[in-house]
Amino acid sequence: MNKSYFFNLKSKQKIIILVLIFTFLFSLITGFWNGSYDLEIIKFFKNELDNIQQFVLKKIRFPRVILAAFVGSSLALSGACLQGLFRNPLADPGLIGVSSGAALGAAFSIVLGSEIIVGGYLKTFLLPLSAILGSVVVIVLLSIITNGFKNSNITYIILAGIAINSLAGVGIGFLTYISDDAELRGLSFWSMGSFEGISWNLIIPSIIMILITTLWTLTFARKLDIIQLGENDAHRLGVNIRKLKINIIISSSIIVGVSTSLVGMIGFVGLVVPHLVRLLGGSNHNYLLIASILFGSSLMIIADLISRTIIQPAQLPVGLITSAIGAPFFLWLIYNMKRK
Amino acid sequence: MNNRKYYLYLFLLLIFNWSTSQKNNSCVKTINPSKVVVAGGSITEILYFLNLEEKIVGIDVTSNFPEETKEIQSIGYVRNLSSEGILSLEPTLVLGEDDMGPPTTINQINESGIDLRIISESQNIDGIIYKIMCIGSIMGKEYETENIINNQILNQANELKNIQKKNNLKDLNIMLVLSMQPSSIIVAGNNTSGNSFIKMLGAKNIFDSFEGWKSVSKESIIKKNPDYILIPEKNLHKNSEVEKLSEDLMFKNTNAGKKGNFIFEDGMAMLGFGPRTILSALKIAKIINE
Repeated sequence: MNKSYFFNLKSKQKIIILVLIFTFLFSLITGFWNGSYDLEIIKFFKNELDNIQQFVLKKIRFPRVILAAFVGSSLALSGACLQGLFRNPLADPGLIGVSSGAALGAAFSIVLGSEIIVGGYLKTFLLPLSAILGSVVVIVLLSIITNGFKNSNITYIILAGIAINSLAGVGIGFLTYISDDAELRGLSFWSMGSFEGISWNLIIPSIIMILITTLWTLTFARKLDIIQLGENDAHRLGVNIRKLKINIIISSSIIVGVSTSLVGMIGFVGLVVPHLVRLLGGSNHNYLLIASILFGSSLMIIADLISRTIIQPAQLPVGLITSAIGAPFFLWLIYNMKRK
Repeated sequence: MNNRKYYLYLFLLLIFNWSTSQKNNSCVKTINPSKVVVAGGSITEILYFLNLEEKIVGIDVTSNFPEETKEIQSIGYVRNLSSEGILSLEPTLVLGEDDMGPPTTINQINESGIDLRIISESQNIDGIIYKIMCIGSIMGKEYETENIINNQILNQANELKNIQKKNNLKDLNIMLVLSMQPSSIIVAGNNTSGNSFIKMLGAKNIFDSFEGWKSVSKESIIKKNPDYILIPEKNLHKNSEVEKLSEDLMFKNTNAGKKGNFIFEDGMAMLGFGPRTILSALKIAKIINE
């Protein structure tokens, strides 16, 4: 990524990105500011908070909001990349089976985890690790089926993804059947997503992984632009299609696998955010990727804020909120688009 | 005899407190029981039972008895609690059942320094008495709790035992239905609160061959031939009349259907394993006894 990344944008896109940066900062501050526990964040800087207020802010609210930002950006970024790569507006991390792989891994750990005896520290990481393992297995499987992604046909990869999805569905279905009451509830809450109970030691490794992968992914922007001309033309223009495919599928799997493993399934962000951003400002990827990241994290922070305050002191699953905000807005946009 | 039993419990309680290293499981008196958040229906029930309801500042959604609990702030579902939400009620004590979660939330509450107690459950009469004793002891009301247990719970338990002795309930085949949809009938298998309740009655659960709450086929119900069918009252809306149930082809061919042996009872009273459960078992034992 070089300096020209930002300056190559059209002026309208620059404005949109600036607005999105402000939106992001605004939602970050709003996220820190509000919560079910009453406290004034200004007092934090003046060091006037008592112990329990400091605890709530530092150990509960800060990590939660920060993780929400990273997860939102991951889902949106991978959605934008996959839509670009597959030249298909319906592509999202779910399409190639990564999310369902993670879901199967998580289901394994929720239902059978108590039977594998693991002590203390590892227990916290058992669910995330098995979810990541699940998505890695999917990638390996996908790579074997497509002969190391040599089989360049996109339709082929999508079909393989659909088959893998239903295979994972069988596994999840079976685990649901043998689960007891508590595990069943665990599964259903996991599938609706939640940022509850996030602690620093849980998120720091994930944040680092997401950050590095995101920076790496941003370097694909130009190649993603070229591939819109069609794979043959892109190939003639010197893009190594197979390498690009492998890179994007792997990077998306990392960020989605890591995010999903920590917070469960959160729908709609990966699909809708890139579309919104594209409708607002255009589809060149050096704009699209950055704007998706900013929009995705702002949306997720706000969705989580709603989830933890709307029925406080209880909370709603955040996946419900993202879909509830995203879907009507999206419909409205499509409706307007058609009228134009 | 009652007193001796009480001392035995007290002794067990003490042993338990000494032996346990985790402070979450202890029944030792808390420093300040003035503001309690409860995650678990049976605990709320016990606090009301011990006349300590004034101390409650928040409850989970499984705490729905008695009626007045509707007035109290809800902290959501017991397995999906929010740590900030609970802390926002500024409790001095958090009482929860085994299924309280998620674990990360429990860690955060522990870290915050608020006294958190998880009261373990065993689903039988002794388990209920232990739970009541433990909560009474945490709240600093050992003496009052002892009186209530001696005067009410132990009497009910003895009465239940007498009925069991007089009538041989052991050979009774019982089926406990959780929900009854035309397409699927979900019944209590092994390791469910329903199974424990049937055991408390002293009878036999015809579906203890599988684990958990599962749906069963109509054929297998006819084959297992229940003598009595227990149905939580919540399911009354569709199959309200016993006659209607007995006419159902599936039930017609069972002992229960032939004699109209359908017993309806409040689901939480039966399966919550709070103070009402013993009473509920006694009530059903009396019905069977007639």
